Amino acid sequence: IMEDATRALGKGSLPPGPVPDGLIRIYSMRFCPYAHRTRLVLRAKGIRHEVININLRNKPEWYYTKHPFGQIPVLENSKCQLIYESVIACEYLDDAYPGRKLYPYDPYERARQKMLLELFYKVPHLTKECLVALRCGRECADLKLALRQEFCNLEEILGYQNTIFFGGDCISMIDYLFWPWFERLDVYGIADCLNHTPALRLWTAAMKQDPTVCALLIDKNIFLGFLNLYFQNNPDAFDYGLPC
Amino acid sequence: MSGGSARSLAKGSAPPGPVPEGLIRVYSMRFCPFAQRTRLVLKAKGIRHQIININLKNKPEWFFKKNPFGLVPVLENSQGQLIYESAITCEYLDEAYPGKKLLPDDPYEKAYQKMVFELFSKIPSLVASFLRRQNEEDCSGLKEELRKEFSKLEEVLTNKKTTFFGGNSVSMIDYLIWPWFERLEVLELNDCADHTLKLKLWMAAMREDPAVSALLTEPKVFRGFLSLYLQNSPDACDYGL
Repeated sequence: IMEDATRALGKGSLPPGPVPDGLIRIYSMRFCPYAHRTRLVLRAKGIRHEVININLRNKPEWYYTKHPFGQIPVLENSKCQLIYESVIACEYLDDAYPGRKLYPYDPYERARQKMLLELFYKVPHLTKECLVALRCGRECADLKLALRQEFCNLEEILGYQNTIFFGGDCISMIDYLFWPWFERLDVYGIADCLNHTPALRLWTAAMKQDPTVCALLIDKNIFLGFLNLYFQNNPDAFDYGLPC
Repeated sequence: MSGGSARSLAKGSAPPGPVPEGLIRVYSMRFCPFAQRTRLVLKAKGIRHQIININLKNKPEWFFKKNPFGLVPVLENSQGQLIYESAITCEYLDEAYPGKKLLPDDPYEKAYQKMVFELFSKIPSLVASFLRRQNEEDCSGLKEELRKEFSKLEEVLTNKKTTFFGGNSVSMIDYLIWPWFERLEVLELNDCADHTLKLKLWMAAMREDPAVSALLTEPKVFRGFLSLYLQNSPDACDYGL
């Protein structure tokens, strides 16, 4: 059972109470790739947390007090402090919690991971555009070509570094920040975009061996069920796959 | 700290040698607001550095080896390590060098500065669009959008009840956003801040900051640069030297 296997809150729902001491809360949605980043970090660092899923097509009125535009993910701690933007939330967790550091200690290596993130910035938009095009019965050869080009850039980095992961020989923050979109390539129907990037394929295989990635892997059939309902504008999409 | 007023290097120039130990180099351009962020941090932290100005209208071929995107600022240290993207360079300097920390130690306060930075993020492109505007309609539309963005920043100052965006003294977030506010006067955009009084007070307070005032560009020199830059003149970057 996934930690976030709870029904999404929508309009008319009661606002949740304050976050208890010793816990941090994440406002999330089970299929959102941005929130997925933050959930990976929570898991990787073993941080005790509670998940409140938000119905993104029918947002609770109170949710705008957590984020001015009602976006996810948002972290809320027991001091009522709110942190948003997925990358900012991930860095906050790495700074605020003890144990395994996901960002390197060395300032140059930290800067390198942030520069790598800049290289990635077109990928979320392109993967989403491909998904929408395919789901709406449009062809997307141009989009796939653009996505392949982005993957070539990432392939070059792995080739130049000669390491398995983007931060070196062990998994680190940058790998978790990239992962959610690669996990979705198959279910979006664009896994063939990796055909010409063998190092990137090796990376995805290595990622699937990571205990944190594994623990949060979304079942393909459940994801497809969500996508079907989502593209039919069904407000129950976000709860697909939850036990009744 | 040498080379702040040095002529820019252009196509055909010899690549500079390695950076001597004990120094860090910034590839810059005298009028670039993004590079100004990095220069503000170097100044505020008292970091020994050398500046190599790049002619952005006629870039040296070797510069793309420093940054594949061909943009300034870029930091190069004596180990040959290269760091680019202005916000990343600023954070790197704060982490790598001792002395006054510009980013807070508290994880939430640090995250807060990054959230404010996101709130600011539309302003550079709005100002750039304003520079390229074709007609009066564009102008009033852009000014209205700018006013909206300024209101968001005003709200932050109102909620925090402090002079600066990170508290009662200057910190990283103030330096990261300052360069665009410095340019409002010369771009005749000062009236966009008419209804954001705390922001105006912040601007005045920033002008008193030693690092900010040391790096201020005279409005008439900036105007001279701008006129040449908008005509794509290769002499723009060295205007005033």
